Amino acid sequence: MSAAIETRELSKRYRRVSALTDCTVTVPEGRVSALVGPNGAGKTTLLRMLAGLASPTSGTASVLGGMPRQDPAFLAEIGYLAQEIPLYRRFTAEDHIRIGAHLNPHWDASLVRTRLKELRIPLDQRVGTLSGGQRAQVALALTLAKRPRLLLLDEPVAALDPLARRNFLATLTSAMADAEGTLTVVLSSHLITDLERVCDHLILLAGSRVQICGDIDMLLAEHKVLIGPRKDTGPVERAHTVVHAVTTARQSTLLVRLGGPVTDPAYQAEDVSLEELVLAYMGADEANADKHLMAVGEDS
Amino acid sequence: MTWLVWRQYRVQAAIAFALLAAVAAVIIADGIQIASHWHSTIAACAGNSTCLLQASPLVNGVVSDLPYLSMIVPVVLGLLWGAPLVAHELEARTSDFAWTQSVTRMRWLTAKAGALLLVAAACGGVTAALITWWSGPINAKFASAFTPGQFDTQGIVPIGYALFAMALGIAAGTAARRTLPATAVVLGGFIGLRLVISNFLRPHYMAAITTYYHVTGSFTPPGQAWILAQGGLSPTGRVVAEGWGDLYPALPAVCRSLLPGSPTSKSGSSESAVFSCMQAHGWRGFATYQPSSRYWPFQGIETGIYILLAAVLIAATFAVIRRRDA
Amino acid sequence: MISFRVDGRSGVPPYLQIVQQVRQALRMGVLDVGDQLPTVREVVAAVAVNPNTVLKAYRDLEREGLVEARAGQGTFVRKRPPGPPPGTHSRLGRSLARWVRDARDAGLDDESMESLLRITLRADSGSEQIA
Repeated sequence: MSAAIETRELSKRYRRVSALTDCTVTVPEGRVSALVGPNGAGKTTLLRMLAGLASPTSGTASVLGGMPRQDPAFLAEIGYLAQEIPLYRRFTAEDHIRIGAHLNPHWDASLVRTRLKELRIPLDQRVGTLSGGQRAQVALALTLAKRPRLLLLDEPVAALDPLARRNFLATLTSAMADAEGTLTVVLSSHLITDLERVCDHLILLAGSRVQICGDIDMLLAEHKVLIGPRKDTGPVERAHTVVHAVTTARQSTLLVRLGGPVTDPAYQAEDVSLEELVLAYMGADEANADKHLMAVGEDS
Repeated sequence: MTWLVWRQYRVQAAIAFALLAAVAAVIIADGIQIASHWHSTIAACAGNSTCLLQASPLVNGVVSDLPYLSMIVPVVLGLLWGAPLVAHELEARTSDFAWTQSVTRMRWLTAKAGALLLVAAACGGVTAALITWWSGPINAKFASAFTPGQFDTQGIVPIGYALFAMALGIAAGTAARRTLPATAVVLGGFIGLRLVISNFLRPHYMAAITTYYHVTGSFTPPGQAWILAQGGLSPTGRVVAEGWGDLYPALPAVCRSLLPGSPTSKSGSSESAVFSCMQAHGWRGFATYQPSSRYWPFQGIETGIYILLAAVLIAATFAVIRRRDA
Repeated sequence: MISFRVDGRSGVPPYLQIVQQVRQALRMGVLDVGDQLPTVREVVAAVAVNPNTVLKAYRDLEREGLVEARAGQGTFVRKRPPGPPPGTHSRLGRSLARWVRDARDAGLDDESMESLLRITLRADSGSEQIA
């Protein structure tokens, strides 16, 4: 299976701040990839660079076989939905459908109309007067009408109530079922329960760097929580990669990336959930940042 | 793309068209009245030039300011339509939508800026035509179409101003990414540049002609010339502009005493006596002017300058939009 | 027609939940041989899961021989899962009740009993795989 997205050491700097550093990820075609990380970790930057709305400072990105570029053929194959749901507030949904028809070669207007009718969203009402959930559905329908091969969604459900969120995700999964494996999605979100149902691939950013990237099933199989009495963690650290460690007076709980089978009988190995995995890597980055801050404080 | 531009601007276009039509109606109605007044004045004076000059004013009140009001048109275009063109899309983030449809940013900008520049040129042309026609009798009476003020509102230069103001608005909006600072730039930049060009550049588009004449006589360049400077030239090369205040200290003492009302005046003094004295002492009169034959070349040069500036601004806008992050 | 529920917090992978719900529906008689399972699209529209999840579940059921995919038509039930002989449930229920009484006398609470059952099930299925 070819890769829908392949980046190599993609970086973006703004004067003295680095928004994204050495990002190297691969997203195979047909996957729904969860883009996860704390705010400011570079998720929006990455998505905008993949959509061609921003250009990298260094590194390369290959999207659907080529560089993101201002070229009608490329633009026709991608769909981008920013967090603020950018639509023309004074225009109606029907206006947007006509705009799309004029500006895109393959445009499925009936798809939008049918979907919005199913959701009982009026076509002749100004988009600015619709609710947040309705606006998000309109924007998603318009994006899908292009029949893109790649969807880049930047926290589209962040401001929606649970029902609106569920409807949005159902629309998304229906579109995937219709596309029969030709649609790749990168979805950035904080809501891990949503991501668990819908996503099969994970990209985790923290501190503007990629922490882990891969199929969720594989990642979960590669990680375990080792619970055992508090003792020297040296052997464990040599055999595996410790991502996150919590020690009390009596007990150690270590989330590790397996480097081989777990041989120490003192440790009980438990499966890891997606939420635990994400929190561990995000927490590890925070701990490293704190250590760095403290070290800097000691030097000065 | 053209459908999108029309859909985005159709309300504003309707309002602008209505306003333009209303203003045109006022100008036309007033112009007809002025023209008929002028024709009856000509008939009454039957070729006597002094009679013509002393006839009652052709225009008075607010209406006489119509040409000056028409100078606002380019600024308004640049402020209301030019500045928000790119800036508003960036502020509202609708650029994220527009620039991920299957049109390149270049095509998007070409359609939007192209439409607006066309409209600017049209507005400039229509107001210029109307004001030129309206000013016909005034130009004839005062032979003044070349003077600053009249020059700016007639002919083809208003088209250049309108294009420049629109381009300035679009460029400022693109650079600032926000409408409000862009409007400030349009206001300041347009007014500043207009003042600089008309006061410091325009007199020098072509080398002016200087004619010398007898101080005792007078000289008026024929037709609608633009007089840049006129006055007296002493034998030593000292220039004195018209007006007794500057002239008095420069005169030789003997001529000064001939001025009526001066402490040392004697009988038989008069203005003409002073001039004869000056003439005898080697004074000459001079007039530096641009002849009326240069009216259209100057119109062309100035319009060309503003169109060139507009082109540079638009080219810069294209370059910025193509390369910059959205 | 069966409708599915996917519980994100149950600890059971979504595809397995679907498999289990189909098996349960067959046992209970909600689904009968020859019935059509909902299409992938119908499932994801109702439940908002990745279509591959549903495909994986249906493939597993097909491997077990419970359903069959007919090209162009959909997925249909082929046979019921083999059930235990009659009387098994009541017999096992009685010995389970005895065990529960023993466990409670020994001091186990409900949670400990459930935990013990889970561990035993896991160990048992593990040894089954090795065997």
